Amino acid sequence: MFLTRSEYDRGVNTFSPEGRLFQVEYAIEAIKLGSTTVGVRTDEGVVLGVEKRVQSPLIESSSIEKIMEIDNHLGCAMSGLTADARTMIDHARVTAQNHSFTYDEKIKVESVTQAVCDLALRFGESVHDEDAMMSRPFGVALLIAGIDELGPQLYHTDPSGTFVRYQAKAIGSGSEAAQAELQDKWHSKMTLKEAQTLTLRILKQVMEEKLDRHNVQLAQVTKEKGFEILDETSLKTIIDEM
Amino acid sequence: MATAAVYSSPGFDFSNEIRNNFLASKGIPLPKATSTGTTIVGCIFEDGIILGADTRATEGPIVADKNCEKIHYITESIRCCGAGTAADTEFVTNLISSNMEMHALTHNRKPRVVTAMTMLKQYLFRYQGHVGAALVLGGVDATGPNLFTIAPHGSTDKLPYVTMGSGSLAAMAVFESGWRKGMSREEALTLVKSAISAGIFNDLGSGSNVDACIITANNTEMLRNVEMPNERVQKERTYVFPKGTTAWKKEEVRKLVVQEEVRLVGEAMDTD
Amino acid sequence: MPDMIALSHPASGHPQQRQFNPYSENGGTILAISGADFSVIAGDTRQSEGYSIQTRYAPKVFRLTDKAVLAVNGFAADGNMFVKQVRQRLEWYRHAHAKDMPLRAIARLIQTMLYARRFFPYYVYNILGGIEEDGSGAVYSFDPVGSYERESCRAAGAAQSLVQPFLDNQIYFKNQVPQPGHPHPKHLPLTTVIQLVIDSFTSATERHIEVGDGLEMFVVLAKGSPLYGLENIDGVQEMTATNDGERLFVVRRNLKRD
Repeated sequence: MFLTRSEYDRGVNTFSPEGRLFQVEYAIEAIKLGSTTVGVRTDEGVVLGVEKRVQSPLIESSSIEKIMEIDNHLGCAMSGLTADARTMIDHARVTAQNHSFTYDEKIKVESVTQAVCDLALRFGESVHDEDAMMSRPFGVALLIAGIDELGPQLYHTDPSGTFVRYQAKAIGSGSEAAQAELQDKWHSKMTLKEAQTLTLRILKQVMEEKLDRHNVQLAQVTKEKGFEILDETSLKTIIDEM
Repeated sequence: MATAAVYSSPGFDFSNEIRNNFLASKGIPLPKATSTGTTIVGCIFEDGIILGADTRATEGPIVADKNCEKIHYITESIRCCGAGTAADTEFVTNLISSNMEMHALTHNRKPRVVTAMTMLKQYLFRYQGHVGAALVLGGVDATGPNLFTIAPHGSTDKLPYVTMGSGSLAAMAVFESGWRKGMSREEALTLVKSAISAGIFNDLGSGSNVDACIITANNTEMLRNVEMPNERVQKERTYVFPKGTTAWKKEEVRKLVVQEEVRLVGEAMDTD
Repeated sequence: MPDMIALSHPASGHPQQRQFNPYSENGGTILAISGADFSVIAGDTRQSEGYSIQTRYAPKVFRLTDKAVLAVNGFAADGNMFVKQVRQRLEWYRHAHAKDMPLRAIARLIQTMLYARRFFPYYVYNILGGIEEDGSGAVYSFDPVGSYERESCRAAGAAQSLVQPFLDNQIYFKNQVPQPGHPHPKHLPLTTVIQLVIDSFTSATERHIEVGDGLEMFVVLAKGSPLYGLENIDGVQEMTATNDGERLFVVRRNLKRD
């Protein structure tokens, strides 16, 4: 790809003669540098797992936040330029709150995903009299997990503003191997417990470091308890049982 | 005759005027009077006069009486329809009716319609519109058929066909398109009925039934409820409450039949 | 029609004040009653101003979806505009979320729409009736600035003060001691409710000058509910538009025109 560089890869809103937006494609590339993130959907709920790259022993691993709550019934894991995800999750949170304020009901997983994706394409040159837009595409991909009246769902969004629903999805640097493994191991009768183990197993396979409760994070969305990030104690139990 | 303990001047009593104005200034309004937001009409035909009225009485937007009488008796051959404050129309027509009777007795002849009209307008003028009566006065006397309207401030009109009240425009529209000089009794009655009906159906202040009164030189015919186009339909349910529905807190039974013993004292009265 | 009122004297040199009153009051009455698996929403069709009838047929009750019906009463122009905007919001919602808005969501939406105009309100009393997501009949009533509450019966408008006490007595059995061994039912059957609605309107027509001309009564039946003899009622017409299961009917009756 980098060999075919041309004049068309500079402007964020300029198509190449082949009909490509290079900046968006590069943004998608940025995700492939991010830490591996896995999402698995089951009938009981959705599991999200991330690898936390603790590059220095001086880093407080608990301060690395790659899974965030959007609403009580919605969670989100990220990979790529995680700072960009703040803007998106802020938007998702506002959208979800606005929805429950206006309609007295939980927003659907697809609707909140759509709202986030609407934001993803608001980059480019701002026009006079208009609010300043973003200068570049987001460099992050999200796995949005949630439960609504249609049951547990998992969505993947990328910097192009495209979103697709998955039964199981991996993103980030180890995503190719992880996705292949998901394809092999995922089945529709999977329990939440099985999904937790599968997620960790896959992360373990693709991670360079040895997996422990400090360098991974697990979260889930269930009908009973909504979104929750598993604490280190329960994480340790699952790792030990793995 | 014993002297009255309290002197009471004739006519209206204004002793509460200051208190009521004070209360009004403090935001306590005066009680609302029943107003007959009415349709009343009158028209001349070849043999005399026909008066017409609806039968709805209102208190604001509420129907106070569904079948009241708005054609008041003045004399045997003079009648008066009233619109405005119900109490005022009733009182003023009643008063003038009495005075007309006195007038007839004093002068020993049948009084004229103009006499009633003059008494009414002078009375209403005296109260500067505070007596809220808008009247249609009609009758037949020695001079022939006479028809007047009298407004609350005392002004009068003498016309061959007249309307008054909140439905006056609806009724006048019918008269303007249908009235002709020298109509027969039947034609005139039909016209009056449709004029009142126009008020009943198009003016919210008027409703229910049509009353009419046909006055000719030697006969007065009061046609009470000559048309009843607004009868209530049968209710869907019957609302009967079984015995014991009303809650009670204590029970007390009193004996209403009082036992008494009657003893004869002295001699019996001679009833022979 | 809303009118211009000139205050103080037009004499030159003195300050003048003019005031525009954008509101008027167009009479009429609306009412809604909910049952276990149905909801009835009704209104008369007279629109008046002062002592004049503007029209004998101006609907005040509107189908929003197959499971939601909205009755509006007060200033007719505001009412019509409000219904129009609610319908627009329902369509936007349908496009955004790929489903019909549930009843309680419509109720909340109406609150936010009304409160948005807190300092220049829609001069309208709203009653929303229909079927909840759990299949129960529901009635929501609103004040003009958005305070709302779910109830099982509510009357609003010109004859509210005549009809509500009647409903309290007949629906909630207020001031009625039950016969021993016969407790008051929690929900009334549809046929009884329809009779009560008709009697409410014929009675309000008798005693309130702004009520009359026509009665329009919507009946919403929950998914899987029987017709309860609705098909035999005079002047009934089905209005169901979707296949979701809820069914919508309208019953039209004449009321006295005086």
